[in-house]
Amino acid sequence: MNYLNKSITELHNLLINKEVTSEELIKEALTKSHEVNAKYNAFVTILDNAKPTEITDDLLSGIPFGIKDNYSTKDILSTGSSNTLNNYVPFFDATAVANLKKHNAVPVNKTAMDEFGLGGTGTTAHTGIIKNPWDPTRMCAGSSAGSACAVASGVYPYALGSDTGDSIRKPAAYCGIVGYKPTYGMISRYGLFPFASSLDHCGVLTRNVTDAAIVVDEMKSKDDKDMTSWDSSNINLYKNLTKDIKNKKVCYIKEICDINNYPNANQELKKHLDNFYQTLEKLKEIGVEVKEESVDKTLLNALASVYVVISCAEATSNLSNLTGIVFGPRKDSTNIFETMKKHRTEGFSPLIKRRFIIGSYVLQSENQERYFRNAQRVRRLLVDEWLKLFTKYDAIILPVSTGPAKKLDQNETIKNEENTILEEHLQIGNFGGFPSITIPNGFINNLPVGINITGNRYNDQTVLNIAYALEQQMNYQNQIAREINN
Amino acid sequence: MNEKTKYKAVIGLEMHCELKSNSKVFSSARNSFNEIPNDNIMPLDMGFPGTLPVTNKKCVSDAIKMALVLNCQIPKYMTFDRKNYYYPDLPKGYQITQFYNPVGTNGHITIEVNKEKKDVLIHDIHLEEDAASLDHYDDISCIDYNRCGVPLLELVTEPCLSTAEEAVAFLEHMRNTYRYCDVSEADSKKGQIRCDVNISIMDYDSQELGTKVEIKNVNSFGAVYDVINYEINRQSTLKDLGRYNEVEQETRRWDEETKSTIRMRSKADAIDYKYFPEPNIPPYEITSAWINEIKSSIPILPLERKNIYMTKYNLNDYDASIIIKNKAISDYYEECLKLNINPKIAANWVITQIIGSLNELDININDFYLTPNLLKQITDAIEKNIISSKQAKEIYQKSIDEQKEPKNFISIENSQITDETALQKIITNILNNNQTQIEQYKNGKTNLFDYFVGQVMKETRGKANPTLTKEILQKELNK
Amino acid sequence: MSKFTKEMVNDLANKLLIGLTEEENKMVLDEFEEIDKQIAKINSIPNIKDVVPMTHCLDDFKSELREDIATESIKIQDALRNSGATEAREIVVPKVVN
Repeated sequence: MNYLNKSITELHNLLINKEVTSEELIKEALTKSHEVNAKYNAFVTILDNAKPTEITDDLLSGIPFGIKDNYSTKDILSTGSSNTLNNYVPFFDATAVANLKKHNAVPVNKTAMDEFGLGGTGTTAHTGIIKNPWDPTRMCAGSSAGSACAVASGVYPYALGSDTGDSIRKPAAYCGIVGYKPTYGMISRYGLFPFASSLDHCGVLTRNVTDAAIVVDEMKSKDDKDMTSWDSSNINLYKNLTKDIKNKKVCYIKEICDINNYPNANQELKKHLDNFYQTLEKLKEIGVEVKEESVDKTLLNALASVYVVISCAEATSNLSNLTGIVFGPRKDSTNIFETMKKHRTEGFSPLIKRRFIIGSYVLQSENQERYFRNAQRVRRLLVDEWLKLFTKYDAIILPVSTGPAKKLDQNETIKNEENTILEEHLQIGNFGGFPSITIPNGFINNLPVGINITGNRYNDQTVLNIAYALEQQMNYQNQIAREINN
Repeated sequence: MNEKTKYKAVIGLEMHCELKSNSKVFSSARNSFNEIPNDNIMPLDMGFPGTLPVTNKKCVSDAIKMALVLNCQIPKYMTFDRKNYYYPDLPKGYQITQFYNPVGTNGHITIEVNKEKKDVLIHDIHLEEDAASLDHYDDISCIDYNRCGVPLLELVTEPCLSTAEEAVAFLEHMRNTYRYCDVSEADSKKGQIRCDVNISIMDYDSQELGTKVEIKNVNSFGAVYDVINYEINRQSTLKDLGRYNEVEQETRRWDEETKSTIRMRSKADAIDYKYFPEPNIPPYEITSAWINEIKSSIPILPLERKNIYMTKYNLNDYDASIIIKNKAISDYYEECLKLNINPKIAANWVITQIIGSLNELDININDFYLTPNLLKQITDAIEKNIISSKQAKEIYQKSIDEQKEPKNFISIENSQITDETALQKIITNILNNNQTQIEQYKNGKTNLFDYFVGQVMKETRGKANPTLTKEILQKELNK
Repeated sequence: MSKFTKEMVNDLANKLLIGLTEEENKMVLDEFEEIDKQIAKINSIPNIKDVVPMTHCLDDFKSELREDIATESIKIQDALRNSGATEAREIVVPKVVN
């Protein structure tokens, strides 16, 4: 049996025609889950007693899927990959999960991630390092590492992710799959463990654009439990998906894409950018106007620190509820504050602690203006730059990262400063809440690389249509990871 | 109590008041007193991961209402901020409040202190959420989250008060105003009002402000009064002794048992709350249409009513003050006036009878059987001389006791005998049977006049019109 | 001389109810140096003070407020089931002293 490398619509037809049952699909997904977990450490929880659901007209009915472990799932362990919640079993579902369940979708596992999403490597989960299924010596990137790994490994056609900086879209690129985060507030964040509330997005990882459209159609809703959610009932991404994108205009940004920005570029980076320009040619072939634009480099240079300051500040506040009193392992002490401190000291990984301290520092009253508010000001300037481009273009198209997945033993702290913008520019999608999708656009040294398309707020359909049309011009959809022997 | 103190005190107040609503300010859990612990809770109130605040429209509306009453500036957008600190009664690790952009700023309100008017300046008023409550035992504390998320309005005055009397008068005025506006029960016994007091002293002729001491969580107006006088005394004594430098900028608390303030923390230990805008609550536009709608729901407030009662209806200060103390009573009174009951007579009924009955029955005037309409049946009957005022009181009581309309007791049978012929007949009869007493009367025992009146009343069971009775008796006895 | 010190880092951590090892403290200090350099990039942008800080993701967003309708309380079993110490209907903690 090998069904789960298929797309959602294929599986749905098989189920409707009774060529396969939901039970069989679940069994296959669970078997694969255990295999993948043994090899790549992708899951926190595998739901061995997952039950089949009735097959209906709903495309997702009866089909297994994965949920990132920072989604609250009723009666299922939800840890956010943190020791501070290593025993937390919520009594309510996140709205996005509840929506999918309503459509008879079947969760089969909870995927591992960087602790509470604060990391981009997939190496800080309390269950250990998550490995890339194309090459286990490499990272998946993060934080939705387990979800990306599982989808790329063919455990199921889709898994939920969350994206605060690029946490869906970068792992998707590193794992050779599709990662889509819609406009902020299209999917309710209720029940998503927060990292940085003004940047957090729910989204999905799939192996093709169509599946991403189908899943987000079912996840999204205006939710009276999330004031930032909005009514998208007039948006039907799947129904309106079209390859016809003639006369659409897209741009790329010179300060990010031009090889001359990278005097010390290695072979990987050169190939990656070459490949990017080749992909642009494919767009032109189907009638898309592609132009180069220029953006103030001083602004771009600041983007990574803007992200660090804002995300750390919000995170330190958001995760203040983790004290082990109402939930999470209770630590013994005769002093209440010692109880809380022990819980936090023993529960958080060093990386998270560092981020908290940075976040706390930039929020202190004497620092807030210089650090936090100035970061929020530059956030606006960057968003305004993107908004300006969206008055002329339907989308901005950019390469993801500096090449394929990085080696796990590569020291994270040694960063090549000239590559920072290229590594971090997807964060602007979070700054402005823009719909943004990454799709695979080739291979470098047998490892997948990705390209990103970002559009204006509420214009998810255009973004998906461009991605869909481009996907058809290439041959990387529905690919399943094949371990390479480097 | 009112002797001039040696130093001038400079006092500012922070008044927290729980708002009345069906649900909490950011969660849909009930906002009501509940003796069962953790029975008014939604996931947000316990800080469960992934839960989000959703602002209650009524709470925002009531906050705007009070900002308007306090003549504050209202911002264009309603926004909230996080106040970050760790405490076991704060499950999210932060309180949602309004720091950068309160719903009302730069206001003022006129109060009365010992019949004198005083303008109190308002720094700001803002909407926030309450914390959980902790019950303390020998070694443990228990957390009840029912109160967590209950809407609070925090009102901050400028340091413009100078005595304990003024402070308490302001608090009482505000309590009454909250009740008039129907936004809070404002019951300090139920913990619905809590105050912080800022206080410093300075020489009368000085421009230089003294060192400010803050006293937190003073939970009754009596305690506010005591705290202020205690602190004025403490600080003055130190100043007198040349040890004013021992007055520190610090936070203290009131200890009810020892009737003294106790140091909690100095300014150096002050917590940096790291306030920042709440990203989960988008700014909400406060339109002028909405402000107007809210404005129109503000009733005429007590001091204005008092003014009307005194100038238009000629009530005295005392009577007017009593009536405005309670909005429902004041509303009742105004309803009586609408029914054309004479203002003074209505005031008299309310003050001498109705308030007493309410206390006796331990009920609110809204639950009082005798509505203004029913009261009018009595006052009309008096006016038409159908009943005496003595009878009126009896009918009033009967009507309340039996929950029957007064008119049932104002029948022809019960009505006063005002018919002169009828009364003449009764009196002639009585005089015929009391020849001895007539003799004595005529011989100078004039106090027997009252005896004859009494006999008439006895015969008529009190229904004889007293004036007419006296007239006829005079005439007959002087024959 | 750096404006960031070990003591300052420990103080920040303490206020967050977090204990740090020596090594973790050192890492924070290194990171602070790095971030301060980065912040310089932010502060080098001209006329930054004239920009309104962006506090929300969709800052043109029209939100709605909730009608004042109360819902039934969550079940007490659900409320307490994840807490390490409860008694009757409440969560128990070591005695909180003012």
